[in-house]
Amino acid sequence: MFYRLSGIHHTGYASAHRLWSVPADRWQVVAVLALALLAPLFVSDLYLGSYVLPWLVWSAAALSLSLLMGLAGQLHFGYAAVMAIGAYTSIHLAQAGVPFALAILGAGLTSAVIGTLFGAAALRVKGLYLVMATLAMQYLVDWVIVNVPAISGGAQATLRTPDVTFLGLPVETLSQRYYFALAWAVLLALFFMNVKRTSFGRALIAIRDKDFAAAVIGVDPFRFKLMAFLTSSFVGGVTGAVLAFCYYRAVTPEQFSFNVSIQLVAMVLVGGLGSVIGGFLGAGFVLLLPIILTNAIADLGASGWIDLSQNLMAHLPLIFYGAMIIGFLLFEPLGLAKIYDNVRKYFLVWPFRHSGS
Amino acid sequence: MRLFAKLGFAAALALGPAAATAQEEPIKFGLLQDFTAVYTFVSGEYNQGQQDYLTLVNEEGGIDGRMFEAIVRDTGNEPQRGIEAYNRAREEGAILFDFLSTPVSRAIVDQAMQDEVVLITPLHGRGDAAAGQTFPYVFPVMATYWSQAAILADYINENEGGLEGKKIALVHIDSPFGREPTPILEDLAEQESFEFRAFAYPSPGNEQSAVWSEVRRYRPDAVFIWGAGGGQSVSVREAIRNGISAENIYSVVWLAETDAQNVGVDAMEGVKRYEAVATGTDNPILSRMVEQVIEPGLGAGGEANVGSSYYNIGVATMAVAVEAARLAIENGDGPLDGTALKNGFEMIEDFDAEGLMPPITITTEDHQGGGFGRVARWTGEEWEPVSDWTTAYQDIVRSEIDAGAAEYSGGN
Repeated sequence: MFYRLSGIHHTGYASAHRLWSVPADRWQVVAVLALALLAPLFVSDLYLGSYVLPWLVWSAAALSLSLLMGLAGQLHFGYAAVMAIGAYTSIHLAQAGVPFALAILGAGLTSAVIGTLFGAAALRVKGLYLVMATLAMQYLVDWVIVNVPAISGGAQATLRTPDVTFLGLPVETLSQRYYFALAWAVLLALFFMNVKRTSFGRALIAIRDKDFAAAVIGVDPFRFKLMAFLTSSFVGGVTGAVLAFCYYRAVTPEQFSFNVSIQLVAMVLVGGLGSVIGGFLGAGFVLLLPIILTNAIADLGASGWIDLSQNLMAHLPLIFYGAMIIGFLLFEPLGLAKIYDNVRKYFLVWPFRHSGS
Repeated sequence: MRLFAKLGFAAALALGPAAATAQEEPIKFGLLQDFTAVYTFVSGEYNQGQQDYLTLVNEEGGIDGRMFEAIVRDTGNEPQRGIEAYNRAREEGAILFDFLSTPVSRAIVDQAMQDEVVLITPLHGRGDAAAGQTFPYVFPVMATYWSQAAILADYINENEGGLEGKKIALVHIDSPFGREPTPILEDLAEQESFEFRAFAYPSPGNEQSAVWSEVRRYRPDAVFIWGAGGGQSVSVREAIRNGISAENIYSVVWLAETDAQNVGVDAMEGVKRYEAVATGTDNPILSRMVEQVIEPGLGAGGEANVGSSYYNIGVATMAVAVEAARLAIENGDGPLDGTALKNGFEMIEDFDAEGLMPPITITTEDHQGGGFGRVARWTGEEWEPVSDWTTAYQDIVRSEIDAGAAEYSGGN
């Protein structure tokens, strides 16, 4: 009823392979995009700058990581380091007077080169052992940034982003930064969805499912594992630059610490491996839920509903947050994306219970 | 839904008769700190002291009839949560912020200056923020880490037979904070002709045995330990194990009663630390707080914390902030906004919170308040001051502050 499937027949490959072959899905996407485009008009600065903007940037980061973890099946526990390389490269390039567009490109390339270097470990080790190799990357990159003042920005270890223009468009005010981040998130989402439809994407999936089986059918694991790291690190580096210029605007090493890597992995897992909508939902869950819970409980405390010590008030949101992660994953181990999918499938045939085929 | 409810609320606030009620509105301070991640060793007691002091001021009738309100939120030491909490509190009308978290403070510095609200960074954040011309809205208020190192060195110079020819080791956590005193001590080593070497242990500092055996081979006459939280008691324990006398261990401000418990109260006897604020309740402000806030049950936390090192530091920060607000209200005619409060801070002269802290004077150029402090020695039961409130080598500290500020102006 809501999706109106009747009359949708594919008579050619082009229509059968459309990103959204059901009109109702298309309309939903258009509506969400329109809301996103108009957000600066109806969302207050507080919510635009502290919720929507970081959500978009972290969604882009989760998508970049999901490309590697979800599609190619290569675990990466040092993704914050990849983003750090991008952020620091872009700022140093921009400070040196390189145009912002090129600085972002440079950020992506540097991340891609260094990320692939560490990714080469994936050629030898898999699973938990690969986790260790990527962890090493996290700590090495952290160490280098903290110990080389030329990179971290002197004794105070803070680098501020200079004012920049992207191809003539300034990226300074909140709404300008928001649109820039939105453009990157949308671009990345489109890229991600299309990668899945290419031979490259299918090769990655083959490697994820069993790398030597993929080798047997002619997919070169050496080449495609490196390419997975290369692509993912490139977009991760660009996302790091976007994070620095659009959101933080003053970069310190702590913003790319090990905790952030873990949060990114959590975003991908809670959202759903290898899913675009999962990237957005997972980022929203991991990034925004602690904030919302903290504020909700503080409001409850202020209104006198609950009388708790400061210490318990601070830890209560963490308790709920942990319980919710466990709860959601027990309810649906494949993540938030799968919950969305279940709901959609339910309404696809509503008011009937099962689809005919 | 929550979002739209808040939006409606914000709109109602904007349209409401805000001007008429402005005078009766409480003065709001955003105490948005890390209660759950890295700074937990200090933030509980510190924040309790801050809230209790504001309660005391309110109980005593406020300043010129105006009350104070603390907006307290957990940031988990995460910059993005700090930014959210900052923006929200600013919307609620807060004009002063204290994050007690270096990463969050650093992320907010630019925004606070742009928004013209006061950011106090006592014992955390950028040391060069003491340069008032470059950082007009940022107030370290207490001695920077540079000043602390200088005061400790000065103590050795005055009381332990001079610095000349001595070997001093700095054993620090491997982070920008840990490395902060290095340039000051290097300059001092040249000026006072002593030998100086820095040793770094990896964060978070639970495991330091490797670095301490190196320190032992260096045979230092005095050791400065520069860490925070759990790493500090590990440092003291390792130092003693490696044959360094407790009397020769000097600590940054982050060494408190809890650390003494962890090391063993007797084993730690003789260890000295830099102290920014007096400890104990033997002080007019603290005794009034006990009488009017703690005993009636208005306190924000456990009674056992009252008078502890970090509690009193929290009290002192709010004493300075309230004094600034008082000066701003007395001398200003407009509404008390961020700029007025900033001017209030810069009017503070010889303020010592009734003896709780050294007399500080904040000027437009110097937001550190002179870099005062003293050295205290652990007696096995409590921290006993072994020097007077003093300030040392401020010329060297100032050159470091100015260098940092110049770097900031240059884009970093």
